[in-house]
Amino acid sequence: MDALITVLLVVTIALVFDFTNGFHDTANAMATSVATGALKPKVAVTISAVLNLVGAFLSTEVAKTISQGIIKEGDGGVQITPTMIFAGLVGAVLWNLGTWYLGLPSSSTHALFGGLIGAAIIGAGFGSVDFGVVLSKVVLPALFSPLVAGLVALVATYAAYMITKQARSRGADAGFRHGQTISASLVSLAHGTNDAQKTMGVITLTLIAAGYQGAGTGPQFWVVASCGLAIALGTYLGGWRIMRTVGKRITDVQPAQGFAAETSSAATILISSHLGFALSTTQVTSGAVVGSGLGKKLATVHWGVVGRIAMAWLFTLPAAALVGGLAAWIASTSTVGLIIVAVLALAGGLGFVFLARRHPVTHDNVNDVDEDDSASRESAPVTTGKA
Amino acid sequence: MTSDKFLGIDWAAFGIVFAVAFAAAVVIVSFYALGLRLLAVGSDDDTGADGSIVSTARGTRPLGATVGAFACLAVCVAAVLYGLYLIIPQFH
Repeated sequence: MDALITVLLVVTIALVFDFTNGFHDTANAMATSVATGALKPKVAVTISAVLNLVGAFLSTEVAKTISQGIIKEGDGGVQITPTMIFAGLVGAVLWNLGTWYLGLPSSSTHALFGGLIGAAIIGAGFGSVDFGVVLSKVVLPALFSPLVAGLVALVATYAAYMITKQARSRGADAGFRHGQTISASLVSLAHGTNDAQKTMGVITLTLIAAGYQGAGTGPQFWVVASCGLAIALGTYLGGWRIMRTVGKRITDVQPAQGFAAETSSAATILISSHLGFALSTTQVTSGAVVGSGLGKKLATVHWGVVGRIAMAWLFTLPAAALVGGLAAWIASTSTVGLIIVAVLALAGGLGFVFLARRHPVTHDNVNDVDEDDSASRESAPVTTGKA
Repeated sequence: MTSDKFLGIDWAAFGIVFAVAFAAAVVIVSFYALGLRLLAVGSDDDTGADGSIVSTARGTRPLGATVGAFACLAVCVAAVLYGLYLIIPQFH
């Protein structure tokens, strides 16, 4: 009975995490398309949601390898219990909602790793985490992803502007908007084939650990379907707060920049995952947007905003680990403790939603940058772009 | 093997990822931009420095520019198809 409750809670929170993952990462593919007017906001999230759903069904190979990867990185051979997975997911979900409230793009994968690492430390001690692996698999790639994508996008943006006479040649803006739609769609599809699978992997792992599914078998159909739907729904509802940051606050993205940034992101993501050196989608796209700002003459990059994002990346892993650890500490005491954690997590999540309601960002005002915003106060001269 | 695994990172793999991504993105963006530029040959620039539309006149485009433009755009279409091939595992 207790095992069943745990499994049900893990499946529920895993799907919630999947939802926040889609919600958070809509901005990766679509923020620049929305900012340049290449796609209407609702159209952009619909395309992204459909492609994420399609991507979830394309392959389950990643789900298998990723679930094994997490278990090795999380504990280095120690038995991970469903309670620990549950606690780790609580940490990841709360961090995702917190950064969404602040409008900061941060890696959902890092939040997931952080939460699981925290839970593993509490559940099995510091020795259970291989910090060398954390450094080489999480921390250093997080440093390189935005630099690589930024440098690529910088040169690509410069080339695009140079070739089209600073985008003044006839039809250049319209052409770049069309091109951008296509590269953003590729980013969305690639995202769907990766990120939904992480949740599938976690759920399958839990079912196997609890004895509901044979070891070594792949995700069941209902797991694949519900994960795909959760990430698509999250994508469709859209993290408009994050989209505003990526599309308008880092730099006011123009069509040529948007095209160069999305194409650089798509190329970097596809090539890195194909060559087995996977880079974070969030960090690649954010870096590409900064690069596209630097590659255009006279464009302003708001370093205050970039600094805030960098801080969020720095804190993602430890913060999620702290929450995951606390959750594991309470949840591992008894079933009652587990339910207390679930209730607290629900209250925390709803808290962020209510806080966000006070200054809602929707598809109607995603491209407005209001003067009373905390981020625009930091970086005084905010150009509102062409009306 | 230890020298190229400094800090647990496979620097050779990282270098290849960087070089290939850089080349691919810059080549695709350049060809697409070149295609757009060639399509505009013969017409006045339609966008002013402030981003406003300043011209609606459309001139005649030499055949060579049209052929070149479509050749450039074909390179980009091929790149997109290759991207789809990489994403969808059923293809390989």
